[in-house]
Amino acid sequence: MKLKRTIHQVFAIAKTDFLGIARNRTAIFFTLLFPLFFLIIIGFTFGTQGTGETSRIRVGTVNLDGIAIDVNGTVSQNGTIGDAFVQALKDANFTVYEYSEYGDKDTDGTAAYDISRGEIKVAVVIPANFTEALSFQYTDSPGMQIPTKARLDLYTDPSDPTGSIIAQQSILGFISAFIEYYQGIVINQIPDAQMRDYAKVLADPITVSTSEADVSGRPLRWIDYMVPGTLGLVLLWSGLNHASVAIATERTKGTFQRMIIAPVSPITVLAGKFISCLAIVYVSAVIMLASGILIFQVNLYWNIPTIVLSIFLGALSAIGLGLIISSLAKNEEAANSIAVLISVPLQFFIGAFFPLSIMPEVAQIFGEALPFTKLVNAMQNIMTKDLPFEAIMPEIIYMTISGLILFTVGIIAYRLSLKRL
Amino acid sequence: MNLNDIEVNSITKRFEDTVAVDNLSMNVARGELFGLLGPNGAGKSTLTKMLCGMINPTSGTINVGEYNIQDNPMKVKELLGVVPQDIVLYDYMNARENLAFFGKLYGLSGGKLKNRIEELLKFTQLDEKAVKRHISTYSGGMKRRVNIAAALLHEPQVILLDEPTAGLDPKNKLALWEIIRTLHKEGKTIMLTTHMMDEAEELCNQVAIMDKGKIIALGSPRQLIRKVKMENTITVVPDKITSKLIEAVQKISGVKSSYRAYDEDEKIETLKIITKKAEDILPDVVSAISSVGTKILSVELSRVTLEDVFISLTGRSLREEEEQL
Repeated sequence: MKLKRTIHQVFAIAKTDFLGIARNRTAIFFTLLFPLFFLIIIGFTFGTQGTGETSRIRVGTVNLDGIAIDVNGTVSQNGTIGDAFVQALKDANFTVYEYSEYGDKDTDGTAAYDISRGEIKVAVVIPANFTEALSFQYTDSPGMQIPTKARLDLYTDPSDPTGSIIAQQSILGFISAFIEYYQGIVINQIPDAQMRDYAKVLADPITVSTSEADVSGRPLRWIDYMVPGTLGLVLLWSGLNHASVAIATERTKGTFQRMIIAPVSPITVLAGKFISCLAIVYVSAVIMLASGILIFQVNLYWNIPTIVLSIFLGALSAIGLGLIISSLAKNEEAANSIAVLISVPLQFFIGAFFPLSIMPEVAQIFGEALPFTKLVNAMQNIMTKDLPFEAIMPEIIYMTISGLILFTVGIIAYRLSLKRL
Repeated sequence: MNLNDIEVNSITKRFEDTVAVDNLSMNVARGELFGLLGPNGAGKSTLTKMLCGMINPTSGTINVGEYNIQDNPMKVKELLGVVPQDIVLYDYMNARENLAFFGKLYGLSGGKLKNRIEELLKFTQLDEKAVKRHISTYSGGMKRRVNIAAALLHEPQVILLDEPTAGLDPKNKLALWEIIRTLHKEGKTIMLTTHMMDEAEELCNQVAIMDKGKIIALGSPRQLIRKVKMENTITVVPDKITSKLIEAVQKISGVKSSYRAYDEDEKIETLKIITKKAEDILPDVVSAISSVGTKILSVELSRVTLEDVFISLTGRSLREEEEQL
């Protein structure tokens, strides 16, 4: 009986709170539609952002140079320049991860697997004949000697278009300089000046092939990656912002005091507010995803239970943080200002629009520590790459822990605020 | 059987160094319309908050009905209907939706809630069109009536009204007084906090005057007036009130006190002269006022009010108190 009454009270509070948004056009815009507005505006305004600092670029190398190949009728196993290439990447301050094979997105320990999980932005496959090509060895061909040609394969991460373009451009620049350097050494060793000039014109032993890694299993566009990322914005705008003013508004208007003087426990009020905030987050998420489908025809994977769970865990942190603001702020206006002050800058650090990889190291560390970033990562992995639930376990665990901590602190702040009535 | 619906025993409430309510005791009998009077800052709001369980006393006990509020806060809350001073309603919902929400908080549901809402909508005298409109479109009087109705949904035995007519025009004020009288006739125990002495005098059959966290007088309005042994007030409206004028009047034999007051209804400053023999000293008053070069616009003899009682007890007028705050 008592439980039934409490449930009635919780849903009455949640419904009333929800109506407060639903019947207020300004609130509808800022709480539910602003992330969508932001998606469209940012999408058209910002294309690529640049950086010259290579240490932020995580490069995977698959060095096949040194594997035995046939050159001019003899077996060559020289991997000197391939090794030098990897070492030069490191010396150029790229963050280099070495792999034995490129593999595929489902095989752990391969470059393709790490690209699909965002561990590296670009993978360079150094071919077996890399040294031979750059040292101008010749294949045996009837009538004339043909220089050995090698092809460097470059794979980029399409789920982070901006970050990938930056990484790709940096690597291409590096490759060009590296090849030019080694060609120079070999050409300068040619004694005949006329032959040297001839070699300079003709020698082009390395080509570079660039392609996007298969991380999804189906063709994806930039917007396909962006839409799942905006769920992080939903947490900030619909979760954090609404939760921040939920209690403060009621306290300012006196309706909170009126609820407390009724036979309603403060925890019941809190539960009602939580359900309402959660409902607003889910409604906003549905609007974002539906807009993605209807406006942008996004091509995503729909693992609904995982998406619902991930949003719930992310919302725990957003609502917990909002609850802290709502409880500590003096009034509705103060709560609103604090929420905006926090949510506006945070949206640039969660990797929804701008890849964290282009940011300074400190910003990357800060961004990675945010539970909202974890939701963005998890959603991009699930919805664009169709990774299994286990692949996002680190994000799930992180969001659970941060959600529980923030929500617990929120409850403590809420209880303390009751003393100020 | 307990004949008191409210029993306050040696209640003290401290906020750090401030004592808002100081060892206060009082009872409100069942069916009584009890007025809690005092200037802003007297401790009325703190006492009301403790009575409805919003804050806990530092020491002392409060019983409402048969329940101790510290031991059974939920039971006490079910007995109480609290009408806050401000309009505390959701302005984006209509009257029916607001009443439904507050009814659910008190555990009402289904047909019972529906019937009670319809009863109270009649009580608010809102027509069907108005009922469907959002509260934000209502006049002050309409909002005030819905505000009261929201506290009556669960048919509470004890009703706390906090400054119920604050900010209302005379017409709406009288209409609200009528509602309070009706509730009293229905047998409800009503505690009314106000700083308007005329309101308490008009409505209450028992009055407590609070000042600085203590009750400084308790009784029926008539008893309180008799207690301070004052019979009359001469109210003079001069063209200007100067300290020289007050001094001249004060010197007249038989004048107990004189002070500047403000007539809220007429919006004019008046000079109040407290005396036991108003008719006898009236000629002296007129000549004293004329002697300082002040013109008399009107003179009125009136009986002593609760406002005069407060002044007699504290040496300060309520207006002075409000100006200081």
